[in-house]
Amino acid sequence: MLSQDENLWYKDAVIYQLHVRTFCDSNGDGVGDFRGLTSKLDYLQELGINAIWLLPFFPSPLRDDGYDIADYTSVHPAYGSLQDFKDFLAAAHSRRLRVITEMVVNHTSDQHPWFQEARSSRENPKRDWYVWSDTDSRYQGVRIIFIDTEMSNWAWDPVSKSYYWHRFFSHQPDLNYDNPAVREAIWEVMKFWLDIGVDGFRLDAVPYLIERDGTSCENLPETHEVIRDFRKRIDLAYAGKMLLAEANQRPADVRSYFGNGDEFHMAFHFPLMPRMFLAVKLEDRKPIIEILEQTPQIPDTCQWCIFLRNHDELTLETVTDIERDYMYDEYAVDKAMRINLGIRRRLAPMMENDRRRVELLTGLLLSMPGTPIIYYGDEIGMGDNVYLGDRNGVRTPMQWNGGWNAGFSSADPERLYSPLISNPVYGYQAINVDSQTRSAHSLLSWTKSVIQTRNAFRVFSRGSIEFLNPSNHRVLAYVRCLGEEKVLVVNNLSSSAQAVELNLQSYKKHIPIEMFGRNLFPRVGDLPYLLTLGPYQFYWFRLRRI
Amino acid sequence: MAEESFLADDFLRQLMSVGEVDLLVGVPTYNNASTLGQTLYSVEETLRHNFVRQRAVILNVDGGSADETRQLFVQSGEGRDANHKGLTSLRTTHRISCEYGMAPSHGLALHHIVAAADLLRAKACVVISPTTTNLTPSWVVNLLRPVYSESLDFVAPLYARTRFQGLLARDLLYPMSRAIFGQRIREIYCEEWGFSGRLASQCLEKDVWREEAVRARPEAWMAITAIGGGLKCGQAFLGPKIAPPTGTDIVEIIRQTVGNFFWCMETNQAQWLGRSNSQPVPTFGPDHELSLDGIPPSQEKIFELFRSGVSELEPILALILSQDTHAHIKAIALSDRSEFHFLTDLWVKTLYEFSASYHHAVLNRDHLVQALVPLYRGRLCSLLLEHADSSAEAMETQSEELCKEFERQKPYLVERWTVNR
Repeated sequence: MLSQDENLWYKDAVIYQLHVRTFCDSNGDGVGDFRGLTSKLDYLQELGINAIWLLPFFPSPLRDDGYDIADYTSVHPAYGSLQDFKDFLAAAHSRRLRVITEMVVNHTSDQHPWFQEARSSRENPKRDWYVWSDTDSRYQGVRIIFIDTEMSNWAWDPVSKSYYWHRFFSHQPDLNYDNPAVREAIWEVMKFWLDIGVDGFRLDAVPYLIERDGTSCENLPETHEVIRDFRKRIDLAYAGKMLLAEANQRPADVRSYFGNGDEFHMAFHFPLMPRMFLAVKLEDRKPIIEILEQTPQIPDTCQWCIFLRNHDELTLETVTDIERDYMYDEYAVDKAMRINLGIRRRLAPMMENDRRRVELLTGLLLSMPGTPIIYYGDEIGMGDNVYLGDRNGVRTPMQWNGGWNAGFSSADPERLYSPLISNPVYGYQAINVDSQTRSAHSLLSWTKSVIQTRNAFRVFSRGSIEFLNPSNHRVLAYVRCLGEEKVLVVNNLSSSAQAVELNLQSYKKHIPIEMFGRNLFPRVGDLPYLLTLGPYQFYWFRLRRI
Repeated sequence: MAEESFLADDFLRQLMSVGEVDLLVGVPTYNNASTLGQTLYSVEETLRHNFVRQRAVILNVDGGSADETRQLFVQSGEGRDANHKGLTSLRTTHRISCEYGMAPSHGLALHHIVAAADLLRAKACVVISPTTTNLTPSWVVNLLRPVYSESLDFVAPLYARTRFQGLLARDLLYPMSRAIFGQRIREIYCEEWGFSGRLASQCLEKDVWREEAVRARPEAWMAITAIGGGLKCGQAFLGPKIAPPTGTDIVEIIRQTVGNFFWCMETNQAQWLGRSNSQPVPTFGPDHELSLDGIPPSQEKIFELFRSGVSELEPILALILSQDTHAHIKAIALSDRSEFHFLTDLWVKTLYEFSASYHHAVLNRDHLVQALVPLYRGRLCSLLLEHADSSAEAMETQSEELCKEFERQKPYLVERWTVNR
């Protein structure tokens, strides 16, 4: 049994997000699988991450990269068997790596047996497991999320001759959470995976569980009731397991998903992510400070999840129109880079392969309050292919070496689930794990070292944050504090060298010790603390009073 | 020994914090706490709506205000990133403030502004007067945009004035500057204007900032520097300008403006001696009427001051003016007020002879400039008599005729200027 503190493992985690399909193919069929992933666990352990978040690996028609689930309690045959998953889980746990899986609770695939039954007749007992209507005018005014592909939140079902509700693709009918049977069915699914040993769930599309007339059908009180119910059941029977909310909303709206510590343990901080990119492009800390100032306090047992890039587009739903236009113009000049309200690109290409900027952003990610998530491949600076359609351009095979299929698969290249990145700059011959492992100065080696440093100091994962607000707005400086442990972080967001004077009067007589080189800097005195930083440079200092 | 810098360490520290900017808005102040709020509101609205992506700094240069102007400047920026519509700026709008001395000085204020523009590598700058009570965001846009987007180096304001407002500019400064420097910029003496970082850098390098003429009216020197340097100049229509009376008398105004203009002629003679005719400059802003109807002021006192001045200054005027011109002026000073006319050709000749005498330093230059005051009064009285019932259009036509007369007589000026005395 875990101690109270160990139950909060998610607060100290560095999460690595991957799709089984993309990581390693063990049987040469061109698709990554659990056996392949298991063979790469040593790599992940060495990287320093301590939790793996798996994208959906369930049977699915794969019309939305697995978020259209056709069977909640087995493994898609292309990725292996349930036993393969269990073996993977055991191997991960033996390396002290926790595993978080997807729980797509808002909708199923239209191929799911539940939906097939529901549409078969209006009298079917499962009919009420989904949201039906004779007209498409109910819930008018509710926004459409996939504006590039969907015209309405209602789709006509020619079989049962009525409309069904879907907040995402029309092949993903929404489940009806007003029906207690649906809640029970989903709880059974959760129990299935928890019993196997999964450490947590990322609950997909949480704000949309319940629909009500005259509302936006988002963030409704009844949705919170559903979450509280799931949480209560988990706490009772599965202590130490974690629920992570995907609610792409402003922090004030997401705050409610933490409840009084009785809903989600963690939630993504969506608005922070685009603002980190904004801040670096604008060379101004304002967007970051602004959003963190708007971020409410959360219960002690809860934590924000922060990230730079993930499997989806870089969402711009939570920025202003002005900010969105600016982001498009600066980071997605080519229209092919844009999808829905976002940008389908990876970290390194967005940073124009500028190592300094990639490091700065990674440094920010690992030093700000919250549990960081690293998207697979970003640790080596993988590129993307925006011409692959949907968001597949950021879901290409992991680049392990410069050989056959980048070491991802022994299949014929034509058989791979996706083309490899093969251009001269980001292609697997230039960017791969093997070559970067050999160099102490590679991005991979640097990433390992910075994760190691973060893991060594709990102040990063649990400490408070105090912004210093020096008059130089190109510099973002903050102090993280946990008991006697204090860390000063100073980031130069600009492309030019900067001088900054920091008011460190609260830390007078402390000695700043640079955390990577472990060199002493002059003791903090009465005067403002003067630092100079090179372009995109950042410092992490331990503040010690000796 | 190292040369003393005119920039205070604290000011430099603030500049260091700002870094490179695209736009700089200079706000010179001296006891403007009562109107500064509206000025800053207009500036911030401009930046928020029209220059969302640009890096901007609002720079206050203060001449030692005793009414907490500086504190108001700093405080009014705190927590005001979003306006009432919730529109936020993309970036930090920097606000910095410095006190350049304990007495107001246009020259010192502008010196600090151009130094900041140069150090911050600003692309476009504008100077805004907090005394203008009807300043709107469109003013700031109209002055900044031609510099930022059209690559102009100097943008003068163009105000809508009543028939009898700004007569010094209309009857002396504009036509004379147009004829001398060859560009049709109506208001080179102004309180609001735009300029480029390039012009700021050029001006900063010049060792003239301690000159009285530059200290008094640095904006006109800046405009003439731009024209002389072949930089692109323009003007932007702003509409009527409302500002409380400064209380400065006409003698002081003429010392500052005409004195400055003669000094600029002197120091830029290589630029204009060979130049003839004039060219229009691009004008920005909405369609507009420059002259509006208005009520003429009383001429009686002005005429008396002209008459007594001509009499009292006779020996001085004899040194400045040619015999013929002096005789004409004395003659009209003796005429009856109802029949009084200070004709255009005589006015142009008078001014050209004054400027040539300034060049030849026939007497103390400041005294020389002051001797122009009664003659300006005479010309002013003549205008008021002649145009008491004229329409705004008729006044405009008369102004254009005057400009042409200045251009026609320019060879006479060159002749008197270049003659060996």
